[in-house]
Amino acid sequence: MLLLEAHGKKVLADAGLPLPRSEFIRAGEAPRWPAGAAVCVVKAQVPVGGRGKAGGILRTTPELLSAQVQAVFAARIKGHAPQAVLVEEVVQGSEHYLSLIVDANAGGLRLMYSPQGGVEIEDAFEGGAGTVNLVAAPTLQGLAAAVEQLRQAVAPETRDALAELAQRLANCVLANGLLLAEINPLLIDAEGRPWAGDAKVVVDMNVAPEHPGQRALFDENRDLYPDAWRKISEDFDYVEIDRQGGIGLVTTGAGLSMMLIDELVAQGARPINFCDIRTGQMRGRPDRLVSVLGWLGEIATLRVVLVNVFAGITDLGEFARLLLEARRLCPELTVPFVARLVGHNAAQAEALITAAPCGIEWEPDLERALARAVAIAGNC
Amino acid sequence: MLLDLTHDTPVIVQGISGRMGQRHAKLMQRYGTRIVGGTSSRPPSPDDAFPVFPDCAAAVAATGAQLSLLMVPPLQTLAAVQEAVHAGLRAVVTVGEGVPVLDALRIHALTREAGVTWLGASTPGLCIPGELKVGFLPDVSLAPGRIGVMSKSGTLSYEVGSRLVAMGHGQSAWIGVGGDPVKGLRFADLAPGFAAHARTSALVLVGEVGGTEEEDFAAAWSALHCNKPVFALIAGAQAKEGVTMGHAGALVMGRRGTLQSKQAALRAAGVQVFSSIQSLVQAVDAQVGRT
Repeated sequence: MLLLEAHGKKVLADAGLPLPRSEFIRAGEAPRWPAGAAVCVVKAQVPVGGRGKAGGILRTTPELLSAQVQAVFAARIKGHAPQAVLVEEVVQGSEHYLSLIVDANAGGLRLMYSPQGGVEIEDAFEGGAGTVNLVAAPTLQGLAAAVEQLRQAVAPETRDALAELAQRLANCVLANGLLLAEINPLLIDAEGRPWAGDAKVVVDMNVAPEHPGQRALFDENRDLYPDAWRKISEDFDYVEIDRQGGIGLVTTGAGLSMMLIDELVAQGARPINFCDIRTGQMRGRPDRLVSVLGWLGEIATLRVVLVNVFAGITDLGEFARLLLEARRLCPELTVPFVARLVGHNAAQAEALITAAPCGIEWEPDLERALARAVAIAGNC
Repeated sequence: MLLDLTHDTPVIVQGISGRMGQRHAKLMQRYGTRIVGGTSSRPPSPDDAFPVFPDCAAAVAATGAQLSLLMVPPLQTLAAVQEAVHAGLRAVVTVGEGVPVLDALRIHALTREAGVTWLGASTPGLCIPGELKVGFLPDVSLAPGRIGVMSKSGTLSYEVGSRLVAMGHGQSAWIGVGGDPVKGLRFADLAPGFAAHARTSALVLVGEVGGTEEEDFAAAWSALHCNKPVFALIAGAQAKEGVTMGHAGALVMGRRGTLQSKQAALRAAGVQVFSSIQSLVQAVDAQVGRT
């Protein structure tokens, strides 16, 4: 999970990395100016790069602050509507790039430095002059050796500051189980002090539930990280992708769920959500289904619920019983359902669903089930 | 190594006394896998369906096991792999979801150094149809044939596999590499084996956005100059940058891991890339002989 810039920087600051003065402002809050700051930028807090080009970063003064904050909140950045902005002091200095990233191919942590900051990583390393690019074992010793190599490779005037910063970054990655910690631009001021201009921090959602700080972050910011909060609190994946969509998905399996969304969009439909409910972990209880139906029920444009399960192991007879029970527990949800259940014990599931009076359409063919959901949803 | 597995390969299950371990050991045995026992922290019971050993070393000494399927909680996976490697097992398959990524990096280093094949994590496992199944790939999607299947996703590959089987196209081997960002075998690692595999005449690659596995496979496949057709399906066209869709590996960041990057790399390597399940299976049916 990619953290918002402000929260990523908080993780780095806790590890001793210096940050410019700033104020974090949620939608609806009055803008605040960071005490003592001269010139600031207003930055949209959305989990994507390229915010500046999309109108998500504006330079501001105390006089312009309210209007600039309003303008950034109104921007739509790569499909994301900002729910918070960061008002941050502008630090003057030379721009660099520093990151530690899990490199799946190399099987280690890749430490990268470039004397050109503020650009995309692919561009920073195209030229190559002055860059450092090392793979380290994911241990204290491995990273310490990489930091020492970095120290030897960089310009003398920034050597000590960069090496100390890289070591703190390494400690931070190991202590927090991070997949990425990137400072870009890394600013080095006239006194040789480093500052994190921007930060991308990706936490491992396999670690987050057991990590007190990360768990607290998602608990305290449910509105900003609804997907992560749902994953931690419910132990399955539900990602809202279109609040004006018409088709709600109750599906299992990440790859197949993604593919259904792709195919529905290709047919001109608007699926509301991604869902990997993990039928194998329902343990005879309808709770997960009730949660999903509750979230879908909050969407005013919901027209149809498409249920798709390819069951290798899951007993579809039991799943059908749980689906009917969940539907009974959500009486306010009156839209039609299309159920496509294939695999283990599908015959019993079909008998249960077709006999039930609650109007769940049974369609064993996925292509026809998709077409039926699209037809019911109409223009939504 | 995985493509050479047969029904004679002795397999153990680490965590065999758990609910899932017991169930899947029986299902794999029913498929034809030679399950020779398993390990558990619980003492053996007269009701055990398979021999239960206290650790991998005892299991290997008693049974000659070569491959282990790990059905242990994610936070215990690293320790369980260490135990398997030290016991001399040649391959480990870790099906559990939720292994911390830094643990996965340590497993990666450990298995590479020991020359042990690691498949996983977060994989439904593998199958050589007609020989053995290690994991929980559904039987309805499996049949002996000539298509090599490799997949990040379990369920999407089940859907593809079942439709192909219904059309008369079985598999020479099915390897689920899993949806985690850091894993054991990757698509590119499988390329040389499938290129040389006499029983494989075509490949189906089921990928997802995120990471660079598909791009790395494309580079490896190009270098092999193999004329077997490859059909690829990439899920996640609608995934937004910065948003993880279920699989931890399915995260698009900047230009890394995008659908466009994967399509371009695969097509440049001569791979046919599809955007729907049905278009892929129809192309396979039209171009590959039925079995």
